[in-house]
Amino acid sequence: MSMHKITLKVNGVNRTLEVKSNELLLNVLRDRLFLTGAKYGCGIAECGACTILNGDRSVLSCLVPAVAADGWEITTAEGLVDKDGNLSTLQESFVDNAAIQCGFCTPGMVMTSTALLRENPDPDEEFVRDYLRGNYCRCTGYISIVKAVLDAAQRMKEGKQ
Amino acid sequence: MYLNHLDPKNAPHGEEYCHSMIGVNTPRSDGAAKASGTMQYASDLIIPGMLYGAVLRSPYPHAEILSIDTSEAEAMGAVCLTYQDIKPVVYNERSVSTPSGTYRDRTILPNKARHVGEPIAAVAAETEELAYKAVKALKVEYKVLPAVFEPEDALKDDAPQLYDTIYLDEQEIKVKNNIGVVRNIYEGDVEAGLAKADRVFERDFSLGRIYHAQLETKCAVAKPEVDGSLTVWGTCQSIHGCRQLLAYALQMPLSKVNVKKLPFGGAFGSSIQVNTVIPICAAIAKKAGRPVKLTSAREEDFYSHQKYPSKYHVRIGVTNDGIITAGHVKALIDFGAHQVQPLPFMGCTSGWFASLYKYQGNIAFEGTAVYTNKTPCCAMQGYGNPQINFAIESMIDIICDEMGFDPIDFRLKNYRGPGDEFWGQGPTIRSIIKSSGVEESLVEGRKVFHFDDRKSPAEKTGTKRRGKGVARGFHCSGTGGPKEGEVIDYSFATVKINEDGSVDVLSPVTDHGGGTWDALRKIVSEVLQVPYDMVGLSPADTMNTGYDVCTHATRGVYCGGGAAKNAAIKVREKLFEYAGRMMDENPGDLEVVMDPVAHQGRVQVKNYPAKSMTINEIARKAWIMSWGTLAYSDSYRQKNCPPCFTTHFVEVEVDTETGIITFPHVLIYGDCGVPMNPDLVKGQLVGSFNRGLGYTVYEYLPTDEKTGHLKNMGLLVDYKTPSVYEMPRVENMQVELCHTYEPTGPFGAKGIGEAALASVQAAIANAIYNAIGIRFYELPITPEVVLAALKKKKEEEARA
Repeated sequence: MSMHKITLKVNGVNRTLEVKSNELLLNVLRDRLFLTGAKYGCGIAECGACTILNGDRSVLSCLVPAVAADGWEITTAEGLVDKDGNLSTLQESFVDNAAIQCGFCTPGMVMTSTALLRENPDPDEEFVRDYLRGNYCRCTGYISIVKAVLDAAQRMKEGKQ
Repeated sequence: MYLNHLDPKNAPHGEEYCHSMIGVNTPRSDGAAKASGTMQYASDLIIPGMLYGAVLRSPYPHAEILSIDTSEAEAMGAVCLTYQDIKPVVYNERSVSTPSGTYRDRTILPNKARHVGEPIAAVAAETEELAYKAVKALKVEYKVLPAVFEPEDALKDDAPQLYDTIYLDEQEIKVKNNIGVVRNIYEGDVEAGLAKADRVFERDFSLGRIYHAQLETKCAVAKPEVDGSLTVWGTCQSIHGCRQLLAYALQMPLSKVNVKKLPFGGAFGSSIQVNTVIPICAAIAKKAGRPVKLTSAREEDFYSHQKYPSKYHVRIGVTNDGIITAGHVKALIDFGAHQVQPLPFMGCTSGWFASLYKYQGNIAFEGTAVYTNKTPCCAMQGYGNPQINFAIESMIDIICDEMGFDPIDFRLKNYRGPGDEFWGQGPTIRSIIKSSGVEESLVEGRKVFHFDDRKSPAEKTGTKRRGKGVARGFHCSGTGGPKEGEVIDYSFATVKINEDGSVDVLSPVTDHGGGTWDALRKIVSEVLQVPYDMVGLSPADTMNTGYDVCTHATRGVYCGGGAAKNAAIKVREKLFEYAGRMMDENPGDLEVVMDPVAHQGRVQVKNYPAKSMTINEIARKAWIMSWGTLAYSDSYRQKNCPPCFTTHFVEVEVDTETGIITFPHVLIYGDCGVPMNPDLVKGQLVGSFNRGLGYTVYEYLPTDEKTGHLKNMGLLVDYKTPSVYEMPRVENMQVELCHTYEPTGPFGAKGIGEAALASVQAAIANAIYNAIGIRFYELPITPEVVLAALKKKKEEEARA
């Protein structure tokens, strides 16, 4: 198996790694960089638990060979927390709106929703429902998650004023 | 008009009820860790020197294993485990029932495959990649046997037999016609009751197999320690059940097995039993002498645990006055290739059936549970309750429709409520109902939902037809009772006041996401009047906690919280004793209140609050004077099993051109007694509606009878679960909590978790009937099923 040298910027830190051509980004993040925010739920893009950001775009890390991520600017759920340990507005909104139960889908939901709000800072319910379609949650029934995203958009708007 | 349970004067038994976070929405304390991806689940754990495990699973539904050649895998550097490495200790993965009610039929690894996906052998290697390659290098010689998939076929004399013998407790018993368990339960006289009825309704119902689809697949990390003991982290709802099973299967004393408590990514009942990966992981780690991590792939998880499919024949007698005179249920349960305890499953099912209505005391339940060459079935939110509730609450709708009764008045006339007996866990766990939100939910819900405005199906026109339906249900809160029954139920807690007046709570109870851990903290905070944020939850394992049966049966808050309250009360006694000595007062004259300024609990003299000490001052002084830590640990058994009630009002819209059903409006009433955290309770109810929606209109797991494989091949994309898209809009998903107080629960609380699902299915099916005039007796009611039924109805109408 051939090895490849790649450089990733993960949560603001440059990382240079030797990866095998069949290594998945999800496994690199979890097993080599010890970032557990991206979760394994299915491995084949069925559930969204492994969602991360490349720049502002949400990506399913279980589908990406690590070699293909060379040069990416990656954010995981851990990376949304600021240097003082404060959650992002969206993460806080998830907590406040009781949008978390078992919590296993939460980091993926948070990353997809972060991409959503960067794309559209003022979404309506339809937009949120449409955007979150690929993220699976068995616990909450989604209502509280939709509320959390809409509430975060509101908070961010108010925060800017 | 209804009790305001948050008003202290309404709390019975003179419970103090002061500052309290009870009944208050508080952000979950593990929320930040979960939102930031830093919460550690078993599947996140990495231990130095850890190997990765992988499992070889049977491609055949029924096959003898003639030989397993591990030499090639071993040459690759993998450690291999087959049945030949293991003492054939026969066990049942679920240890909630008493041994005399537990059938045992399996070992860690078998010498015969009985379903597709059954673990046959395991490997452990330096990397996950190597482990998977090593699995491929294992050579197994199978003798393929004929298989049987449907319970009716399995009962036939010429059917392939899965087992010759199994064990019940210590007794070896012969299996005939693949019958695992027969359970018949009779009360009163059903035939006499039916004879008194003016009409007898008789129908058949069938509910298919579904899958838990919890987001975290089953996982274990096992670490053999240098002293010969074993430490285990796994996806389990019962750390003590897991420890008992590992100790039994690996023949080790309990003191050499320590199972750590962790959060897990959902379970919905699928981790009540210790799933196959945990004992396999433990056994191979022992053999390797290294820590091993074993995580199921999603496809493997699909083949590991499913919900019991159930078929019922139901007879209910009713008088012209609207009194139910008798109820008779015959049940046929297909539980798959191993028993994860269909015996208590059928007992519980009889209890849910018996406790819904009074039936004038005339009840019969006759159940047969059968082995088939399919994935073993286990609890899945409700343990038979959603299944039998669908049948009975559909029957009630049929009766009301055909006899012209109002569906709400009829239920109010016949339901089992306060003062009546509730079978909380089948016939052996009986207690008296003391709190009930049934009246409030039916009477108020009727108004709020404009239920009486619904039109009959015949009045509906157009391609999209709306209908409204109602159904009610419940679940037990734990499995306690005045007398011990066939289910073990007690919990344990340690409460400890630290030297600064803050408090640690230690509990073996797991939290599935419903907020049980915060509830325990709230209960202790209330008893000791220590600010909620000063009460912490300790990491727990099987060595530092006493036995707790399991977080199952909706018992986390009621039973686990009961144990925490008990320990906190004992600590409070000790606190008063210390404070009395320090203040030269009789401990009996002391009380504790929260002091918001000091941010401390404060012990004061009753009627003379000027004389007081904060808990900080008392604990610190006790430390300086070497009096010792204020702490208490004990087991606690709840001696009741109160039902938590739910009612579902559902409006559906049936698209008669596509067969797709949508949900314009849903109103749910939940009766959990005093809610510890209302938003989290509502979250349970909304989440359960989502799962019930999936169960009713989408989810099923058909088997390819040629190969024994699931037709979806274990893929989530080919197993339709409801996404965000199928849910009602936010403003149309309405949840109300009933105003009740359960006198036997910690600060008035009972459970909610499983009750939240019980009546979803019937409410949806009843609403579908109201929309299009077609009664469905089988789940799921997929778009294809709806279209076929509409076509059939049209043809019948054309003929008539």
